Amino acid sequence: MNRHLHSGLGKNLAAVIVLSMLGLGVASRAVSQTTQSPAKATKPATVAVKKATSTNAGQTLIAPVKVYGSKSAPITFEVFSDYECPSCRNLYENTLRPLINDYVASGKVYLVHRDFPLPMHKYGYEAARWANASARVGEFQSVEAALYDNQASWSADGNIAKYVSAAMSPAEFQRVQKLMQGCEATASASTHSPQTVNVAQVNRACALDAFIDEDRELGNRIPVKATPTYVITYKGQHLPAGSGIVSWPILKQFFDSLLAQ
Amino acid sequence: MTRNSRSSWGWILLLVGRLALSGLFIFAAYAKMKPQGGLPWSLASVRTSLSMFAMGVDSYQMLPQRAVSPFAHWLPPFELLLGLWLLTGVALRVSSLVATLAIFAFVAAMFSAYERGLTISCGCFGPGEQIGPITLVRDGLLFLPLALAVTISAFLIHRGSSADSITGPAPTPFRSE
Repeated sequence: MNRHLHSGLGKNLAAVIVLSMLGLGVASRAVSQTTQSPAKATKPATVAVKKATSTNAGQTLIAPVKVYGSKSAPITFEVFSDYECPSCRNLYENTLRPLINDYVASGKVYLVHRDFPLPMHKYGYEAARWANASARVGEFQSVEAALYDNQASWSADGNIAKYVSAAMSPAEFQRVQKLMQGCEATASASTHSPQTVNVAQVNRACALDAFIDEDRELGNRIPVKATPTYVITYKGQHLPAGSGIVSWPILKQFFDSLLAQ
Repeated sequence: MTRNSRSSWGWILLLVGRLALSGLFIFAAYAKMKPQGGLPWSLASVRTSLSMFAMGVDSYQMLPQRAVSPFAHWLPPFELLLGLWLLTGVALRVSSLVATLAIFAFVAAMFSAYERGLTISCGCFGPGEQIGPITLVRDGLLFLPLALAVTISAFLIHRGSSADSITGPAPTPFRSE
């Protein structure tokens, strides 16, 4: 009787195995497709931002420079982020800050900020505008620090200008405010979904939007599905994009292994 | 179908399942260790890939920071050895049980990350594959049942073999000539 029981169980288990095999075959195809697509998608991020221009009230604006370090560094670290994203803040405070002070300062890494404001963050897009305007007057780094340091405050009431002005001189802030003319009225995250690929469709009342959406277009090609997402380029070769928080010691170890190649 | 042919089918299916599970672990190890970004195969590039895998492990935010790197450097070789062990069929009950526990732990970690709202790479077969419904279904409803089926079958067949060795083979029916 025990043998009958075993053989019955064996039959059922055999059926499970066969079905699993079939499913495995299907899953393997899906895996190979998904593992291939990031390699195809990770073409992008050549830095064409510096050549982009946008027109505001008759003036031609050259793309704001949102970088840290020297472009000749062997490693380029592009980070797509949203100023209102808590994980982005975590990454900036705990990973990017020591990176900037160490590997960027020593010429090993070229850090590039890419704007990728998410629709669920009410003031994310506006914060990106302020950061881009500040970059135009050469105050990007101090404003980025101010935005992340005070994220909890301005994301509650939208008073971004307060922290931007505190990060620079009054004269520079006046210049930034001038660049922000025409931007305040259209500052709405809902009008700029991450799926906006065609930059021409963007509301051109704010000239700075063109640069933000250019970054988003780059991100959509990767594709960026969440923030922060980072793309590392080593000697011209793009590595697969990563996302989420990574601690500085782990990132440093990775950079060291790349530099040891 | 006679008892012997049923037993043969059981062995064949167990073999297929074992080979599939073995292939899964070997492929997972390969995908984590293979050079990325066009780098050539070398010890240095494998080390780079493992460091990149460590970044993926870190993004789960489950391990203490000092454990992330050792774990990430230990896991792919472990997967490779486990895959090879399954391939040999030696001590199959133990190897399949270890495989089942490993997959269970991976699936649990993925569910935890998904439940916490982390939009990160799964890291199952190298970088680039995000945790989401597809990966959760694939790992939780395909790979885990496969490992379980192989484990249970290995135990049952071993038990069946042990019973045979005690009682002897089933007697052949009497035939008049």
